Amino acid sequence: MFYLSKIEHKFALPPHLLARPIREAIQSELERLFLDKVIQKLGLCISVYDITSIEGGSIFPGAGAPTYQVVFNLIMFRPFPGEIISAKVMSLDADGVRLSLGFFEDIYIPTHHMPYPSYYISKNNTRKWTWEYGEETDEFNIEISNEVIRFQVLSVSYPTIPVEQAKESKPFAPMVVNGSLYHEGLGPVSWWQ
Amino acid sequence: MFYLLLEMKILEENAGALTNFEVLDFLRAKGASKDPSRVLAKVAMSEYKVYDYLVKTPAGSQTRESVKEYFTAIKQHDLSEAEVLNVLNIRPASEVEIYHIIEDCEERFPDEEVTEIVEKVGNTLPAPPDKATPEEITKGDEETETQKHDEISQDQTEDGEQMDTS
Repeated sequence: MFYLSKIEHKFALPPHLLARPIREAIQSELERLFLDKVIQKLGLCISVYDITSIEGGSIFPGAGAPTYQVVFNLIMFRPFPGEIISAKVMSLDADGVRLSLGFFEDIYIPTHHMPYPSYYISKNNTRKWTWEYGEETDEFNIEISNEVIRFQVLSVSYPTIPVEQAKESKPFAPMVVNGSLYHEGLGPVSWWQ
Repeated sequence: MFYLLLEMKILEENAGALTNFEVLDFLRAKGASKDPSRVLAKVAMSEYKVYDYLVKTPAGSQTRESVKEYFTAIKQHDLSEAEVLNVLNIRPASEVEIYHIIEDCEERFPDEEVTEIVEKVGNTLPAPPDKATPEEITKGDEETETQKHDEISQDQTEDGEQMDTS
């Protein structure tokens, strides 16, 4: 799920960082710019792995900060289709289940990729997806809990930023992982032990 | 007023795949730990979230030697790079768990080979953090194990850093 990506970036180093040793200041600014942000096609940036080279440092006319050209490696979270990842249930509804990894929460399992056959039940205060396996009913459930769920990545998409959003719609997710719970071995780990 | 010259170029989209263990090792070297007083480490909150996630996966109890041993042992089997990584990150403990990580498993590998793979995984990689048997882990033991493990990884990382500077 993690890859290194080599990036070259030209940017101005804010003056308040100039008292620090140059590597530290650049690392700090790179982290501010990239950490926890999504780069299209590369994924979610987790960490600045290392800095390969720093060039420049000249101040352009009219500018109040030196500009550096830095080559560095970022650790990117970019699951590949077919990968199997453990996650926890964040929410569920009739359209499917939403899973979370803690640091990444936009994982969706749509209805047609839920174990077959399964049903969404919303009764009293409980909501759950139940898998009907053999004669058992109500034994295999997916609910919001601390249980570890294994899913398989189907695809990763990077929707374009909408210009306008309706007020009540979900906050925009720059990176969405679509997954499946369909095959044997997937779903709550407790089902398969 | 200052110009914000923002130009980002992707030099290499994929400069190498990292196993969960390597990312966890990297975060530990940065100073991440289970210690509740996290303000002091140079680790960002978003990095800590990744650490908290990884530490509970099988990578949380892996070590550099065990990962190396696993790679050597698994080479004899015809698995794709993605499958080798998946198996390492998930550490299946039984044939059922493996069937699905490996595509067309029944067609590519005879049952005995699948069992062999499961055995090799069990022999080279430690059990995931939450699966340790109750007798082995009491509160005190768990902390010494984590400390020992942290010390080992730190020693290894120091060696790693020395190699990098030379």
